[in-house]
Amino acid sequence: MTNVIQAANRDVNGPLLELTDVKTHFRTRRGLVRAVDGVSLTLERGKALGIVGESGSGKTILSRSIMGLLPTKGTERHGSIRFEQQEIGNLGRKQMRHIWGKEMAMIFQDPMTSLNPLMKIGKQIAEPLRIHLGMDKATAWATAERLLQDVRIPEGARRLHQYPHELSGGMRQRVMIAIAMACGPTMLFADEPTTALDVTVQAQILDLLNDQRKDRNMSLILVTHDLGVVAGHTDEIAVMYGGKLVEKAPTRALFADMKMPYTEALMQSIPKIDDPSHTRLMAIGGRPPDLVNPPQGCRFAPRCLYTRDKCLTEEPPLVATDNPEHTYACWYPVGSPEYHESKARLSETPVTIGRLD
Amino acid sequence: MRYALQRFTQFLIVFFLVTFGVMVFMRIGLNKPGDPARTMLGGTVSQDLIDTTTRRFHLDSNYLVQYWYWLKGMLTLDFGYSNPNNLNVTTYLKPRVLTTVFLGLYSIFFALLVAVPVAVYQAYKRDRPFDKLSSFATFFFISVPAVVLAPLLKYIFIDWLAWFPRLSSKVYPWDNPMLHIKNFFVPVLVLTIPLAATWIRLLRADMVQTLQSDFITLASAKGVPPSRVLWGHALRNSVFSLVTSVGFQLGGLVGGALIVEAYFNMKGMGSLLVVAILSSDLFTVQSVSAILVACVVLVNLGVDLSYALIDPRIRHARALS
Amino acid sequence: MSATPPSATAGGKTTAKPKRSRKIPGIGVMFAVAWLLALTICTLFASYLPFIRSYDTQIKVNGKTGRYNLGPGWTTWMGTDSSAHDVFARSIHGAKITLMIGVLATVMGLVLGAILGVLAGYFGGWVDRTVSIIVDCLLALPALLLALLLVYRMDDLKSVYTWLGWLDRKWEITLTLGVLATAPLARIVRAQTMGLREREFVLAARSLGAKGGRVILREILPNLIPAMVTVAITGLGILIAAEGALAFLGLGVERPLTWGKMIIDGRADLKRAWWATVFPSVFLFLTVVSFNLLGDRLARRFDIREAAI
Repeated sequence: MTNVIQAANRDVNGPLLELTDVKTHFRTRRGLVRAVDGVSLTLERGKALGIVGESGSGKTILSRSIMGLLPTKGTERHGSIRFEQQEIGNLGRKQMRHIWGKEMAMIFQDPMTSLNPLMKIGKQIAEPLRIHLGMDKATAWATAERLLQDVRIPEGARRLHQYPHELSGGMRQRVMIAIAMACGPTMLFADEPTTALDVTVQAQILDLLNDQRKDRNMSLILVTHDLGVVAGHTDEIAVMYGGKLVEKAPTRALFADMKMPYTEALMQSIPKIDDPSHTRLMAIGGRPPDLVNPPQGCRFAPRCLYTRDKCLTEEPPLVATDNPEHTYACWYPVGSPEYHESKARLSETPVTIGRLD
Repeated sequence: MRYALQRFTQFLIVFFLVTFGVMVFMRIGLNKPGDPARTMLGGTVSQDLIDTTTRRFHLDSNYLVQYWYWLKGMLTLDFGYSNPNNLNVTTYLKPRVLTTVFLGLYSIFFALLVAVPVAVYQAYKRDRPFDKLSSFATFFFISVPAVVLAPLLKYIFIDWLAWFPRLSSKVYPWDNPMLHIKNFFVPVLVLTIPLAATWIRLLRADMVQTLQSDFITLASAKGVPPSRVLWGHALRNSVFSLVTSVGFQLGGLVGGALIVEAYFNMKGMGSLLVVAILSSDLFTVQSVSAILVACVVLVNLGVDLSYALIDPRIRHARALS
Repeated sequence: MSATPPSATAGGKTTAKPKRSRKIPGIGVMFAVAWLLALTICTLFASYLPFIRSYDTQIKVNGKTGRYNLGPGWTTWMGTDSSAHDVFARSIHGAKITLMIGVLATVMGLVLGAILGVLAGYFGGWVDRTVSIIVDCLLALPALLLALLLVYRMDDLKSVYTWLGWLDRKWEITLTLGVLATAPLARIVRAQTMGLREREFVLAARSLGAKGGRVILREILPNLIPAMVTVAITGLGILIAAEGALAFLGLGVERPLTWGKMIIDGRADLKRAWWATVFPSVFLFLTVVSFNLLGDRLARRFDIREAAI
């Protein structure tokens, strides 16, 4: 087994992951779908990054692009992805296989369909251990049992011999986490890890993920449509819209001072505890942009409440606020004079906000 | 357990119904006294012989009684008497069973040997040239009727290339292995080609679907090599239709190689039954079809039970019922 | 989008509907339709079309008839058979019987299969068990053997019971193949009905007090049509091949000759007159392929699994 990421190259101080102008385009009958269209970001070791956006914003494709998990046929990948100081953006599946499960692991959205229904839990956890760490069967199963303990599944020894259908959804997601943890990856992707779960279980799973991340000094990318999910569990948040990064900030800074009207709209679409009861939640009108022919200018403009002519013609660049770690792409960000002016105009002429078409 | 028992009773019912049905259907219309015996004996025979035959096989009693006597004979492996062969059915059945078993097992074995790897590779390289080309080929082969394929292959391999002997007299592998293979090659090929084509299409469709499942992506994301993803994860999740079809063909091939047996002059169960039906050989038809039905029924039962072996969910659901 | 300010609507490109890509049917399907259409027209109007000779016309070469006296060429496109008849003309005339048997048997199978399948799928319980036993019985004997048994015995019974006099070979084969087609159709109809039974619109009709018969006729049957048509088309190919097989075993229609019979008759002289065997084989093959192509296309269109067939 060739170890693609050379241990000697590991610089414990440098960033774990560096994306520069990453683009993922799909060739389809309709034309080139620009699912991810120029995303740059860095992720430090041991940190958690939340990637937030609606469905179709490119967040899932971005995380799969980083892992190289997309089908090779009809996919164009551009830009640079550096992991552990090494370029992995151009590696094929064959080379990535030695990173998958070992250096990078992923947790999927639906635990009901993500486990092989015909294979015992134990074998599914032991598989990466045997492949990457070369363990024999007995050692691998013993390790698997310990992993089940780590993800707080009781009676691990018995569970190992069960099949996925004998476990509840929450249990299965714990098993998925155990599989992901198995070889001690430095980078974990969690793609909507709680969306398919009962509300009561969601928090447990998120806490478990966070604890595991801290225990193992692992970096986490948490992909979700729900700002509420990332709020308490990430260090940084990146908001994506139409395949582009539209705002990125440390979690605290983002919630204290969001700049992008899209982020604001996302925020207003989740219920808050201190809202009076029966407060209308705001939905975002319109639908995500067509990624074959993305709108000129700002991609969010056609749906934005504060759009001006400039937004429709010129694309706003990512700029920093006073805080260099807080960047956003908007001509008239939340808090600007133009924003307030538009808002005042809107409140004068009552409109039905949030009609979904 | 209750499930298995329930299935088993249903299969027993089917067995009795079909064998009784075959018996009745072979005999209705033979209304005048002595008719069944006369038909069975064929040609002009003395009244005396007709009377003894009628008495011997209870041919004048009602159908249920006749069925009872026949069934009793079957249980002691006495399959009745066949006049055209002037033999006890049991005696001349044996070599024929062997011919058919060889034909059936060889063709199923080779068809699977070809179908499974091809289908798996097609699904893996979906829509690539290999997939497209071989999909076209399978479609072509599925559509060639046996009556077209048998003469075609016979012409190519036996008449034109002359690789194989013209007369397929039966030779057992333990007598002369080389000649055995030569004799069986072309007939088995005629059976194998459409079978393999059918199974390739069946398995490919299921594999393609399975390969789109989340758990396959997860297996890849664990770093499992593609060959293991395909053979270890995807294949087992995709074999249900294939198992069903293999069972169906296995049951059918026992008596289903009619065209091939007839065309290549092989003395198997199928050709035996054809001759028996066409000469109103009552007991042969009854007994041989009973054996065929029993095989089909048993294979079905086996297929049913094998689902539980493959899929723990089915196993558990059945254990609960 | 009422929330967007006036200036934004100008650039409202986002909702531009994706162009619906109309998929042109593949070469295969076009070929299948063309072949079947041409074949049907030729058979229906055989006596009016100038290029199709009558069934009994014998070709004379130098004033004499003879076995295989003419190979494929301008006079006889596909040569002549052992009795100096035009192979092309005979293939067309034979197609009429083959297609008629196939279509009628399929219709019979559809009707019987639909009745059994719907009853089993809709009512469940003992009805379902009874139907599944009937279907299992029909499938318990290899299809070709069952066909052989049925056709042969019908021949016999005809001479005993005079009221069966109308049963000629054509009808015997039709009835037999109809019985054969019933079991697979009943199976797929049953499975589909069981699925439909639990669908919202059926539940709605039932909760509104619609009676069983009405629900079946109005709600379930129309939704079964795609699956039934798909299986029937694929089945047609199989039945036509089966008719050929029966002819091979000596139980074919004698007049007009069907393709299966022509293939068998000519096979002994394959070396001397390949055309007498090859062309009927091509007819049989192309027809079976066409039905398979159509069935395959429909199955993909309606998302029906081949496994059920």
